Amino acid sequence: MKKIITMLLALTMLLTVAAVPALADGEKVLNAAYIADISTMDVALTTNDYIVALNVFDRLYEVKVQPDGSTEIVPSLAESYEVSEDGLTYTFKLVEGVTFSNGNPLTASDVKYTFERLLTIPEGVNYDIALEFAGAEDLLNGDVDTLDSLAVNGDYEISMTLAAPNAGFVAELTSPAMSIVDEETCESVSGFGVDPADTIGSGPYIISEWAVNDHLTFTRNENYWGEQPDVDTCILHIVPDAGTQNLMFQSGELDIVDLDNLDASIIESTYQTIYADSIVSGPRVGVTFITMNENNEFLSDVNVRKAVQMAIDRQGIVDAFFAGNAHVENGMIAGGVWGHNDDLTPITYDPEGAKELLAKAGYEEGEITFEFSYDNSSGTTKQSIVQKIVQDLAAVGINAEFKSYEYSAWLDFRRTEEMPMFLGTWTMDFNDPANVLGTFFSPSTAGRSMNYANTAIAERVDAAKSIMDDDERMAEYQALEEAIVVEDAAVVPLYEEMHMYAIGERVESFIPHWAGYTDFYIRDVVMK
Amino acid sequence: MSTLKSIAKRVLGSIPVLIGVVLVIFLILRILPGNAILSIMGEHANEETVAMVSAELGLDKPWYVQFWVYITGLLTGDMGTSIKYHRPVAELIGTYFPVTIKLSVAAALFAWIVGIVCGVISAMGKDKLADRLGMGFSLLGVSVPVFMTAMVLQFALAFKLKWLPIQGVNDGLLSYVLPAVALGWNSAGSVARLTRSTLLEVMASDYIDTARAKGRSVSGAVVFHALRNAMVPVITVMAIQISSLLSGAVITETIFSLPGIGRLAVDAINSRDVPLLQGSVIFATVLVILGNLIADCLYSVLDPRIRKEV
Repeated sequence: MKKIITMLLALTMLLTVAAVPALADGEKVLNAAYIADISTMDVALTTNDYIVALNVFDRLYEVKVQPDGSTEIVPSLAESYEVSEDGLTYTFKLVEGVTFSNGNPLTASDVKYTFERLLTIPEGVNYDIALEFAGAEDLLNGDVDTLDSLAVNGDYEISMTLAAPNAGFVAELTSPAMSIVDEETCESVSGFGVDPADTIGSGPYIISEWAVNDHLTFTRNENYWGEQPDVDTCILHIVPDAGTQNLMFQSGELDIVDLDNLDASIIESTYQTIYADSIVSGPRVGVTFITMNENNEFLSDVNVRKAVQMAIDRQGIVDAFFAGNAHVENGMIAGGVWGHNDDLTPITYDPEGAKELLAKAGYEEGEITFEFSYDNSSGTTKQSIVQKIVQDLAAVGINAEFKSYEYSAWLDFRRTEEMPMFLGTWTMDFNDPANVLGTFFSPSTAGRSMNYANTAIAERVDAAKSIMDDDERMAEYQALEEAIVVEDAAVVPLYEEMHMYAIGERVESFIPHWAGYTDFYIRDVVMK
Repeated sequence: MSTLKSIAKRVLGSIPVLIGVVLVIFLILRILPGNAILSIMGEHANEETVAMVSAELGLDKPWYVQFWVYITGLLTGDMGTSIKYHRPVAELIGTYFPVTIKLSVAAALFAWIVGIVCGVISAMGKDKLADRLGMGFSLLGVSVPVFMTAMVLQFALAFKLKWLPIQGVNDGLLSYVLPAVALGWNSAGSVARLTRSTLLEVMASDYIDTARAKGRSVSGAVVFHALRNAMVPVITVMAIQISSLLSGAVITETIFSLPGIGRLAVDAINSRDVPLLQGSVIFATVLVILGNLIADCLYSVLDPRIRKEV
């Protein structure tokens, strides 16, 4: 019997040892966790999962967070660029000597291939920016085989001609969507984006393992052309249960925990007390707002929309739900975005004024009724916020009916253009007002159930990105924001929140992603 | 030979069940609002791209065409490609079913061994301390939900005492101890209670008295005579428990971060990944059918009367 027990113990130990990855002495290993797995490592096929794109690939330009918290666009694979006088053609000079992790040189033809691939890959979804190149529609539709607007001049120079001038184009190149891939690899392997061995980039890390629903392992790219990062290996565990993430962090198994994943009660009771000194936060560069569908019989009236704006106690929401980790935003161009306007006319909380406005517009109390559609993947805090807003609206006689939907059903309903009101958050893809105003208020934004009716302003939003003078463009965006939010009351901006993380004892410093994404740059972690 | 025929009949009979299950899942997913493309694209979804990608994936075809394509694919071993993960469903299931199998087998072993032992001890010591302890253990198992058991065990044994890993599969067999206990306790409780009651019933039979009269001890009569007959209803319950162990595995896999089929299925539901969900459901259905088949075979081994009926 003893023998059997001894053998069983030995077998267990053997299996234990065999399952743990071997790590070298002194190796700096960062353990972090995601609540859900990524769907692909190929950025052409996703608009959500950027952790691999940020760490395994490079872009022509990057956004860098300055010590004072501001952001700056800095050269990466491109060392400089020139713009033609008409603002249509950008010529980039690439850094020489950059190689992908497999040793292949990164050249201008890889850049051309990358941007064409965004438009031609089957099931591709991330081509919004690439569509700006002249002739891109034709390539997308399969009418042509190549983009003549992308001209390769030797190995290290490429010129790109846009269909229309866009002063924010360089900012757009910092988007993860514009990560540069290796043409030779993509053309010769079958597992790009699926198999780590085939997913070759030029970034500071190599993706060495992806066990679906278990973990991703990033190891340092020893041939990286830039400055070597501090962390040797990063293991990103997929831990779907918030309570388990909490226990892992507290027992030292995680070096960074994203507080977004944890229950508000745990954050308040444990993290803001015991771990208060370990909390690192960065702004979630984006605004949470309420939309108002102008096709709705009541919300088509600007007086009703203004009454909605005045009825909501936005400061009350920030105080009640964020304990100092958010601030009220008056506009849609968030703090931290180029063009943010501190002097925008503020929306005042005035329930009595809202009632008067509704009475003046001829509405009786309780007459205005519409649905407030809630996406139930948004988390419990946002659900409580929506319920508080419903109460605020009820207090002025507006009957907003809370209705909860599963995410994909919510998107499906929103696509019908019939959704009267919803709570949304837009986190910036790139640092330019065009990203948010262009997404919600240009003429081509049907499908978000907003139906912004002021076509003159919508056309100006579309045209603003072509203004090449920065001061002039900023002034135009700020004027447009005033018209959209204050005069037309098309939306109710609520707040901008901070993205909080707790770092463990082994971590010296960590800078969250500049826009507050869940995805982060591993190179922005320094360990002790 | 007749037993083999019976098994073959059961296997053939399960094919329409499988097709029916796939059809129901197929229809449910089409009745529900939302689709995979929207789920993947989220805020960036626009009409043109949704239409284009739907066409590339064949989702624009009528449901019966998609169903036919899927069923004919299945016959050639092609379970389709996951819309979310861009990988063959068969590959994903092939990679992750060992985790679910290990968890389910470990949980079943715990449930059945502990449950039967507990039931036998309780029956033999009816109304004594051992009986009360055993039934207390069983009552706790059947009344506390799996997620609560999992969280309490995780907190106490892994986080506080550090005896076992908090989560993951990196610690070999040790990784499965807590999840298996959490998952199996409920079933152990049911098995223990049923074993106790059926055993007490059987022990009151005349043939046990005969065995005792021939000189068998109480424990000998229980082990060599009563237990075998008492096991028939218990095995029925055990077969039913296979499906509850599989559904409970979803919660256990989530709390203990085990990358198994249960989590794949939840992922598939959330992202409306039809091929992946169908694959996971077919897999689970096959397991349940197999479980029932094994139970049927065990009946005839345990009770010759059933063999004769077959």
